[in-house]
Amino acid sequence: MIKLLNIEFKKIRTYKVFWILTGLYFVFLAAGILLAEFMINHMVNDINKRMPIPLPHVAIYYFPDVWQNVAFFASIRYVLIFPAIIMIILITNEFTYKTIRQNVINGMSKTEFLVSKLLIILLMAMVMTLVLAAGAFLIGLSHSGFSEVDFFSKGVPFMAGFFISLICYMVYAFFCGFMMRNTGLAIAIFTLYSLIIEPVVYFFLRAPFMFNNSIYTYLPVNTVIRLTEYPAIPMLKKIMGLNLQDHVSFVACMIPITYAAVMIGIVFLVMKRKDL
Amino acid sequence: MEIILNVENLSKSFGKIKAVNQLSFEVRKGQVYGILGPNGSGKTTTLSMLLDLIPPDKGEFSWFGQPPSKESRKRIGSVIESPNFFPYLDAVTNLEIVADIKDKPYDDIPEVLQLSGLYERRFSKFRTYSFGMRQRLAVASALLGKPEVLILDEPTNGLDPQGIAQIREIISLVASRGTTILLASHLLDEVQKICNYVLVLRKGIMLFSGNVKEVLAVSDFIELSSSDMQGLIAAVREFPGFSSFNETDGLIQVHFSKVVNTAEINTFLYQKGILLSHLVDKKRSLEQHFLELLQDNP
Repeated sequence: MIKLLNIEFKKIRTYKVFWILTGLYFVFLAAGILLAEFMINHMVNDINKRMPIPLPHVAIYYFPDVWQNVAFFASIRYVLIFPAIIMIILITNEFTYKTIRQNVINGMSKTEFLVSKLLIILLMAMVMTLVLAAGAFLIGLSHSGFSEVDFFSKGVPFMAGFFISLICYMVYAFFCGFMMRNTGLAIAIFTLYSLIIEPVVYFFLRAPFMFNNSIYTYLPVNTVIRLTEYPAIPMLKKIMGLNLQDHVSFVACMIPITYAAVMIGIVFLVMKRKDL
Repeated sequence: MEIILNVENLSKSFGKIKAVNQLSFEVRKGQVYGILGPNGSGKTTTLSMLLDLIPPDKGEFSWFGQPPSKESRKRIGSVIESPNFFPYLDAVTNLEIVADIKDKPYDDIPEVLQLSGLYERRFSKFRTYSFGMRQRLAVASALLGKPEVLILDEPTNGLDPQGIAQIREIISLVASRGTTILLASHLLDEVQKICNYVLVLRKGIMLFSGNVKEVLAVSDFIELSSSDMQGLIAAVREFPGFSSFNETDGLIQVHFSKVVNTAEINTFLYQKGILLSHLVDKKRSLEQHFLELLQDNP
């Protein structure tokens, strides 16, 4: 395990593309989270121009709701796509540079190769979740002060949910990269599917059941980004009649985990049978 | 001698094409074993199967008397087709990854870099290397951890004469240390210069295998002429080991099934009362033999 991680770390340690994309991810993440409140209130202002009774401005970064809201904004497609693209590049590079062949020739088993990639997914998801949790804590502190009683009740469930989202989404990306073997093709297909095809399909499936969040759509990417279904904004509950979740449901987690598990199974089978 | 590699009835098809067909051979410790064949004869497919890159359709092979495993591959250094390294990593990091996989210490890295003449450029990224340097780094990585077997697939392909000489020098040095070498090549003189055993492959089928020197000896023929051609032909037929002859322009070319020397023949014919006016021992080059083997087996 340590040996495999050490090898993976050598492969990325001086790889600029990896660090640039990771940096961009954190920049987009921070920008998204910090701008979310501003953008919501901008919308509220617009609505208020046409409403006789003005809506109050919302605050979303106080404890304990900050955990849920940060998890929600960190799981939107446009942010989550970064770690996925990083993962696609890391796996397709191995095919492009034929280093997967060389690794096997040199005495790595095919299983070890796949395990090393899954380990790097696990490690990246851990680091990214810890960074997000630290960020959420700081944002929460700066918005709530020290008078709050309930700091952490939503911390563990929503951060764990985000961790599962990251792992599953990166496994999807890994699957796509492994099957395509070509960096450009894999990124194009994955991005197209995640950002365009699935939202369109989702829209048509969802439309008849508008605002009924008990209907799960089983689309792979959707199940990942919907672990945190809605941001915790009390006003939403009043206006739209949403039942706000106070935890991430176990059933909801099992859906993307099942997808990811099936994909990993396929990857192992293909690796065993196909020529390198 | 200890058997390093044993291959039995190895077969692999790609669609309708039989890339490797019922191939069997064995490589013993210390041999420099050449697999010779034109492009597309199944050399790389064979080596890829032996290194677990391609699962064979049929047949078996064993390394060091054991079924193939990642542990056996760690005892083998290989260069298959092109050098495969991360272009954005320097030579040292690329070699460290190889050493990590092989469970070998990093101590060998400076030595193999020096041997391949890349020590000065060891912190340059792989993508900045010239074609020849890349090939030498591949050989350097194959030599990491002092492997018991070295597998080289067309190691001098596409190199300039200087590059070819450098690679061959390294191979000779490694062979002189007693490392078993398995070399695939389409170049006859390369096999002739480097190898002591050869297997000739065409369209996935083994045409011939044996000691390189024996190949040359068996391919001998002797040219004879005499004023009494009828008597000569009659007499030479009685020579032990005679197999066939062709008559052309007042000469006969006589083939034998074993190694003969001209003195023996001369004495034999003299005793039969035949005086020779022409006696030449013609050794065909391996190249001629190779081309004939390919032609004889359409």
